[in-house]
Amino acid sequence: MNLSKNLKNTFLILVASLVLNACAVQKKTTGQLQGDVYTGSDTIEYLASGVPDRVFFATNETVLTTASRETLRKQAAWLRKNSKINIVLEGHADERGTREYNLAIGERRANSAKDYLMTYGISSDRISVLSYGKERPVDSGSNPLAWSKNRRSVSVKAN
Amino acid sequence: MILRYLVILLILIPIKAFALIEVDITRGNLSPLPVAVSPLSIDEKSKNSFKEILKKENIGSEISIIVENNLKQSGLFNPLNKDAFLQKPDIANLKPRFEDWNLIKAQALITGKVTFVDEKLRVEFRLWDVLAGKEMMALAFTTVPSNWRRVGHIITDKVYERLTGEDGYFDTRIIYVSEKGPKTNRIKKLAIMDQDGFNNKFLTLGNELVLTPRFSPTNQMVTYLSYFRNLPRVYLLDIETGLQEVVGDFPGMTFAPRFSPDGKKIIMSFAKDGNSDIYTMDLENRIVERITNHPSIDTSPSYSPDGKHITFNSDRSKYQQIYTMDSNGKNVKRISFGNGIYGTPVWSPRGDLIAFTKLHKGKFYIGVMRTDGTGERLLTENFYQEAPSWSPNGRVLIFYRETKTNSKGEGFSAKLWSIDLTGYNERMVETVTDASDPSWSSLLGK
Amino acid sequence: MNRNITISFVLHTLLVIITAMSLPFLAKKPIDLPPIVSVELIQISDKTNIPFAPKAKKIIEKIKEKEKKLVSEQAPPKIVKKEKEDAIPLPDEKIEKVKKIKEEKQNPEKVETEVKQVSEFEKKELFDSSSVAALIDKSKVESAETNKKLYKVTQDQDKKIDFGGLTISEEDALKAQIFGCWSIPLGLPYNENLLVRIKLQLKPDGSIIRTEILDHARMNKPGQGFYKVLAESALRAIKLCQPLRVPSKGYERWKELQLNFDAREMLEG
Repeated sequence: MNLSKNLKNTFLILVASLVLNACAVQKKTTGQLQGDVYTGSDTIEYLASGVPDRVFFATNETVLTTASRETLRKQAAWLRKNSKINIVLEGHADERGTREYNLAIGERRANSAKDYLMTYGISSDRISVLSYGKERPVDSGSNPLAWSKNRRSVSVKAN
Repeated sequence: MILRYLVILLILIPIKAFALIEVDITRGNLSPLPVAVSPLSIDEKSKNSFKEILKKENIGSEISIIVENNLKQSGLFNPLNKDAFLQKPDIANLKPRFEDWNLIKAQALITGKVTFVDEKLRVEFRLWDVLAGKEMMALAFTTVPSNWRRVGHIITDKVYERLTGEDGYFDTRIIYVSEKGPKTNRIKKLAIMDQDGFNNKFLTLGNELVLTPRFSPTNQMVTYLSYFRNLPRVYLLDIETGLQEVVGDFPGMTFAPRFSPDGKKIIMSFAKDGNSDIYTMDLENRIVERITNHPSIDTSPSYSPDGKHITFNSDRSKYQQIYTMDSNGKNVKRISFGNGIYGTPVWSPRGDLIAFTKLHKGKFYIGVMRTDGTGERLLTENFYQEAPSWSPNGRVLIFYRETKTNSKGEGFSAKLWSIDLTGYNERMVETVTDASDPSWSSLLGK
Repeated sequence: MNRNITISFVLHTLLVIITAMSLPFLAKKPIDLPPIVSVELIQISDKTNIPFAPKAKKIIEKIKEKEKKLVSEQAPPKIVKKEKEDAIPLPDEKIEKVKKIKEEKQNPEKVETEVKQVSEFEKKELFDSSSVAALIDKSKVESAETNKKLYKVTQDQDKKIDFGGLTISEEDALKAQIFGCWSIPLGLPYNENLLVRIKLQLKPDGSIIRTEILDHARMNKPGQGFYKVLAESALRAIKLCQPLRVPSKGYERWKELQLNFDAREMLEG
């Protein structure tokens, strides 16, 4: 009895560890998250060569990451060079929140980006802000990676 | 030995004979009350007139079906199968043979009569207590034939009130957002329907994004958020005329609009420079008043039924929580303290509860709590659901749910659901398309 | 390289062996349901006494033998509940039952909660929603229904055999009947006084001569509309339960009864 119990247990544990290992392997290859912020290159478009059009945020957060600031510096430089161009900053949220609060947080994210651009000399007359809350996701998946791609502020040429 | 027992008996019996035995009945069953809804009787001439005008075979039968469905959907009544009815509608209406109805276990009976008189629809109905063998209520209505569905709803309200002691909620409408298309680019339109899903009408065309509509207490106007010309603003829409106008002249996004209980003001959020605060605007004199002034996000405001207090959603303590304050913005008090994030607070028409959405460990909940934050009760759990709205009698909550998509991003749908305050009777509300953001009107007759 | 693999393999195997020996077998054991008290075998006496389930069987068997001679003395089952010749149980039987007398009234429910807990245990293994499940009100449905089932079964009086150990007082028997007949209107406000007192006059066969609502004036008071609804539901319950199953003896005692209907417990939750 004791022996059979041990054998059964051993079998179960081996199967369990195999399954766990498989899961672990899967995570690594698709993971493009640092903390909770998307760091990959899917979905990114370019305002100009080398100028990504968007920055990403952590869940419930509206602060800029180091990577975001770098992207925005590039955008600011490009905007200084093309002084006639105006942009709209579109703020978005993921679907894991209530609709109205998501509208507000989208607006706040877009404003974070706007404030940073302004510190690099871009006039606020050239930047308008528009929040879409969770209404326009770029990835329709229901998983943390998809959600991280949706938490974004996108700079769109207005003219 | 026996003598001993005889003595005891003699002592005990006389004492027992004098005391009135009181028995405490503290339990019963919570199953729906069995009622029989007899088809309303109708004479041949009236029947043919209505057939011509309304294109319905038997309007007496149709109206009783509305009553039957309403009672069944409420979860409190069990309408019995008509095939078992022994008495014909016309006889039953005059003097029911209660033994016949008792036989099929009906405890209440509804009978009535429909006539076409002076180009109008006249309905009289009676509610009978089958066990006591007497009439409980008798009423008559006259209206234009096209209102025949409302007659069914009004009869249900009267019966419901008489049998439960509560106001009814059947003669009401629901406004919601009708949705279609891929999740990344949904086409949304404002839509309105009777509470039982009939008479669905679209109010906007779908050319711009529309969200979060609300009825005015008079039921004639609707306020909502529209992205007309890519500028998200709060609008007013007159249901009768279809006219729309933007509310106020705000230099930024306004959203989350509601009416005050007297219908004179719109309360909403205004977002500027990353901060969202709550404002009101008087619809008559157009005066705008600022209610909250805090660097946090303040949104989803909801008035108490007496208009003296407001409950709202704020992240001033880092995460979304529920607060209450006086209607002038003073005495802000946090009332949600459980584990998780709280949103969309709505004050019950009864004044004693606030319904909300809660997110905790990846699950969404619809719940209620008392207005001081105590007695939190979660009614239902789901992958995603939010935005409860109260029926006018404060008994039922309508909200919406979205489904998870698969690994390919397919399978997205949004539907309206309702649940009783007690946590019973959770059911999906049928809509012609996918639907979200529901809001319940007040009783149409009042 | 090879050395590292060997060391890793040995260490992993060691880990597996240690885990295997220390853990109990991980798969589920078959659930052991305690035997449910066969509550059909209820007779009326002064005290409610339903002994603890597993012991009940033994007590039942013991008493069955002792009571065999009494079987022929019993009245035919029909409507009326069986009552013993003596109002007071014989002393030697009393001693056997004395142990669990305190627990009787809770016992039927106790058995039910044991069963319920067992299934909740199963649930915990599959989902971890335990903390929130407690908040969701559905449990009210379960307890309401299990109570309903239990009380319905107690009404099944049609067995001839007398298992003297199990008894239920007249009061509990009456309660059980009315519980089954009372459809509580769910729309009542749960924070108000929901007490309706009704006086009954009964005939010897348990049918009702007349009913009287004690707080009659409250029926038409403004703002107390729900009281009328509550009172009517209580009257319906009484009518539905006619004829009441009453003891065959002692008519003088129970020809007038007062039923206190209180919906608060059921609605408060």
